[in-house]
Amino acid sequence: MIQTIQQYLQFPFVRYALVVGTLIALCSSLLGVTLVLKRFSFIGDGLSHVAFGAMAIAGVLNVTNDMLFVMPVTVLCAILLLRTGKNARVKGDAAIAMISVGALAIGYLLLNLFSTSSNLSGDVCSTLFGSTSILTLTKAEVWLCAALSVIVVALFVLFYNKIFAVTFDEDFSRAVGTRVESYNLLIAVVIAVIIVLAMNLVGSLLISALIIFPALSAMRLFRSFRSVTVCSAALSVVCALLGMLISIVGGTPVGSTIVAVDIAVYFLCAALEYFKR
Amino acid sequence: MKRAFLILLCLTLLSAGAAAESPSPIDIDLASLSGTVVYAQVYDMVMEPELYEGLVVRMRGGLSYFQDPDTKQEYFAAIIADATACCSQGIEFVWAGEHTYPDDYPPLGTEITVTGIFGTYEENGLTYLQLTDAEMTLGGE
Repeated sequence: MIQTIQQYLQFPFVRYALVVGTLIALCSSLLGVTLVLKRFSFIGDGLSHVAFGAMAIAGVLNVTNDMLFVMPVTVLCAILLLRTGKNARVKGDAAIAMISVGALAIGYLLLNLFSTSSNLSGDVCSTLFGSTSILTLTKAEVWLCAALSVIVVALFVLFYNKIFAVTFDEDFSRAVGTRVESYNLLIAVVIAVIIVLAMNLVGSLLISALIIFPALSAMRLFRSFRSVTVCSAALSVVCALLGMLISIVGGTPVGSTIVAVDIAVYFLCAALEYFKR
Repeated sequence: MKRAFLILLCLTLLSAGAAAESPSPIDIDLASLSGTVVYAQVYDMVMEPELYEGLVVRMRGGLSYFQDPDTKQEYFAAIIADATACCSQGIEFVWAGEHTYPDDYPPLGTEITVTGIFGTYEENGLTYLQLTDAEMTLGGE
């Protein structure tokens, strides 16, 4: 087994996949705790569908670097979704559902009508489930993912106290002078960046799992925000690495294997919590 | 808190440093790789064929055949199914020696193992991949 893994590590694209996968898992888990606590677990799903729709439009328009199109569109939708106030005519969950299915349907429709690709089903499969996208990254994409991941982690560390305050009590934060709207905007932008990055790893349908499972697993074992965040980050990185290695050695789809490992770890944490009582 | 995140970040970036380019293997044995890695390896060969020119490649897949209706040129390929069964990859091959289709070939879809020299050729302005001077055996022999 070790020899097989060593053999696969000789391939540059396998090493790139492990590095990028680890970074994406780290980033997604950091914001995962905030999203779960703010009851926004499903926003990752909605935004990933938006990213799918944007990617379809970019493909139809023959945009050379589709990330330049997908990223702004996803960021814009993230801002719109997170800023939906109590007075909005379409409430939060309904707005997410509407944008989610709308973008998915329009994206698939556009791909079918205008795509010039010779392998449409392969493109759709890769985008929705990740398939082997993480193993087909170019060197430029690896560096872009690494740079964006560093920015995401740096922003989280720099604004940790504010994100903590906004996560638990927006009203109190506002009362003590914290610019809640600005930090919600920051969270929205960071989430959108993570979603676009994570599409390469697990595909747009499975991104939510990468965001919420490590956070939920960590919540089974720890109680404080800091402990949960650190544990969530560690679990996410370990699950992503383990999932990718199983997938590479066993020939299983990368995204769903990582999510399966996340699910297994969640139940393991739940069992540990049960026996600790 | 910050220290814990910095340690995690450093560990992941250190592994990025290890991802430096390594020399390409002399022979590429696609038949011994998992379905997931085969797809990625063939994708890499499609994207950067110049890195693989002249290397001996072995692959295993289902026999596929196509004849151009205009030029009557025959093309043979081994199609390698991927893990998700949606992104199959194939490489064309030219069997060494004199062989006629369908008499000398197994039925379409039969699993074959092909070993040949990797190269590319241009046709109608497009670049195609090809294994030349190839040996073909049935199944995983």
